[in-house]
Amino acid sequence: MTKAEKQKIVDIVYHVVMYVVLTALAIVLMMPYLFMFFRSLMTWRETELVPVIFFPRGFHWENYATVLSSGNYLTYIKNSLIIALFNTFFIPLSTSLIAYGFAKTELFYKKQLFAIMLATVMLPGVVIQIPLYVMYADFHWLGTKLPLMIPSLFGGGAINVFLVRQFMRGIPIELENAAKIDGANAFVRYCYITLPLCSSIMIFLAVNTFIGCWGDFYGALVYLTDEKEYTLAIGIYNQSIYGGYDGGKTNHIMAAGVVMSLVPMLLFFGFQKHLIRGIAIGGIKG
Amino acid sequence: MRRKLQVNGSVVEYNRRTFKKFLLDNLAGMLFTLPLVLGLIIFSAIPIIQSLIYSFYRYDMTTTLEFIGFDNYANLLWGYDSAEVRGVFGRTFLYAIITVPLTLVLSYLVAVLLHQNVKGIKTFRVLCYLPCLIPGVVSALVWRSMLDQDYGIFNAILQAFGLSPIKWLEAKETAMFSMIFMGLWGVSGGMILWLAAFNNIPSTLYEAADIDGAGRVRKFFNITIPLSTSMIFYNLVTGVIGSLQVFSTFIMAGGGDGPEKSLYFIAVKIYKEAFQRWNMGYASALAWVLFVVIAILTSMVFKTSKWVYYGEEG
Repeated sequence: MTKAEKQKIVDIVYHVVMYVVLTALAIVLMMPYLFMFFRSLMTWRETELVPVIFFPRGFHWENYATVLSSGNYLTYIKNSLIIALFNTFFIPLSTSLIAYGFAKTELFYKKQLFAIMLATVMLPGVVIQIPLYVMYADFHWLGTKLPLMIPSLFGGGAINVFLVRQFMRGIPIELENAAKIDGANAFVRYCYITLPLCSSIMIFLAVNTFIGCWGDFYGALVYLTDEKEYTLAIGIYNQSIYGGYDGGKTNHIMAAGVVMSLVPMLLFFGFQKHLIRGIAIGGIKG
Repeated sequence: MRRKLQVNGSVVEYNRRTFKKFLLDNLAGMLFTLPLVLGLIIFSAIPIIQSLIYSFYRYDMTTTLEFIGFDNYANLLWGYDSAEVRGVFGRTFLYAIITVPLTLVLSYLVAVLLHQNVKGIKTFRVLCYLPCLIPGVVSALVWRSMLDQDYGIFNAILQAFGLSPIKWLEAKETAMFSMIFMGLWGVSGGMILWLAAFNNIPSTLYEAADIDGAGRVRKFFNITIPLSTSMIFYNLVTGVIGSLQVFSTFIMAGGGDGPEKSLYFIAVKIYKEAFQRWNMGYASALAWVLFVVIAILTSMVFKTSKWVYYGEEG
C-alpha cells in the first residue's frame, strides 16, 4: 500500500465517522424540538397515552387555531412584539453610539469608563433588581411595559458595546480622517461613514436583541402584573402551570410553544449569513 | 504693575482657552458616551448602593422601613434562616461546579465537530443550533413534559430498553441530576462564538503545521486549543456568573421549590423573598452575599488566567 492510498483510507474513515457522529448529535439535540412539534399535533388523549407515543396518529393542525383563538394569545403576542421591537431598534442604536465614542473619539476618561462598563458584567441582575423595582414603583411603571423598554435607551449592555467597539476599531482610521478634513463633524461621520460599514454587526445585535426580549421570562414575571400586559412567555407559563382557559392541555401548550419558537427560528434562517459573518469579523480579543 | 497684570491676564486667558479647546476636543466623545454614563448611574450605581442600604433595613415597600443593623446578615448566616440559606447556596454551588466544566468541555467539542470541513456541515450547524433558539420558558415546559414520570418520553425510552423508570423531577435524589442532564441540550448555544474564535486563528499556522507533517490531533492540541483560550476564558467567566444565577429551576419546579426543596436555588430564593414575601431588605442582603461570592470567584478566575492568549493586539 502506498502512502497516498493509506491517506485516502484515513480520509474515508474520517468522513464516515464524522457523518455518523454529526447525524447522531443532530438527532439527539433536535429531540426536544421534535417532541414539542409532534405533541402539538396530537389530540389531548394521545398526549396522555401510556405507553407514551412519540409520533402523532393524525395531524391535528386545528390545535394551532384553537390556541390562537382562545385565551388571550393574540394580546400576548402583540405585547411581546411591542417590547421586542422597541428594544430591537434602540439597543443597537444606543450601543453603536457608545461604541463609536469608545472607538473613534477623543475622551480623557475613556479607559476608566470602559473598565467600569466591563465590570458591570459581574453585577448579578438580582442585586440591582430590588432597588430598580422600588424605583419603578415610584415612577408608577409597575404593571406597564416601560421597565422592559426604557433601559434600552441607556446603553445596550457591556458585552454588546464591547463587540461593536471591536468591530469599529477594525475600520481604517483614514476614512474618518478624510471626512474630518472635509469638515464632517463626529455625528455626521458616525451616521454616514462608520454606521453603514457596521451593518453586519448591527444586524447581529438586532436579531440577538429580538430573540432575547422575545424569550425574556424573569423581567416579565417581575414587572408585568396586569394580564393585559402579559407577554407570550408569561402567558404560556401561566397556562401550563395554572391551567388557563383549558386546564393546561399539553397539546395546546406545545402548539403555543411552537408558535413562540417559530419567530427566533425564522429570524435565524433569514439572517444566518449576517449572524455568522457579523461575529466572525469582530471576533473576541482582549 | 500694569504689564504684570496684563501678563497675568493673558496667562489666565491662555489657560482658559486651552481648557476650552480641551473640552471641545472631548465634547464629541462625552456626548456619544453620555447614554452609557447616565445608564451606569441610574441602572447600576444607584441601585447597587441602594440595595446595600436596604440590606440593613426591614422593608416591605408599604408600611415598614426600619433600620435593623446587621440583623438580616445575622439571620441568613447563623440565624433562623441559616439552614435554608446554606441548603440553597450548597445546591447552587453543586450545580455550578458540575455544569460549568461539563458544558465548557462538551460545547467546545461540539463546536470543534461543527467546524470540521466536510460537505453539508452548514446543514448540521443549523440543525444543532435550532434547539437553542427555543425560548427558555418553552424549553423548560417541554422538558417538564419530557421528564414526566408517566407521560414523558425519557421513561418510555428507559422502559423500551428494559430499564426501570426514573422519577426525574419528582424525587429529591434525581431532581438536580435532571437539571444537569437538561442543561446538556444547551451545548450548541455557544456555537457561533466558538466558530468565530476558530475562524480568527490564522490559517497560515495550520499550513505550516501541515508542512511539518502534523496530524489532525496534533494540530488540535497545539494550535486550536492554545489559540482559542481567550474564548475559553470568556465562556468560563460567563459560565460561572450565569450558573450561580440560574432561574430555570423555578419553571422546572412549576413555581415551587421541587421535592424537599431540591430545586430551590439562590436566584429563586431571592425572587421569592423579594416579590412573593416582600422582604425587600432581607432579599437585598441575600443578593449582596451572592454578589460578593460572584466577585470573589470571578477575581479568582482572573488571577489564574496566565494561560489565556489574547492575540498580538494585547
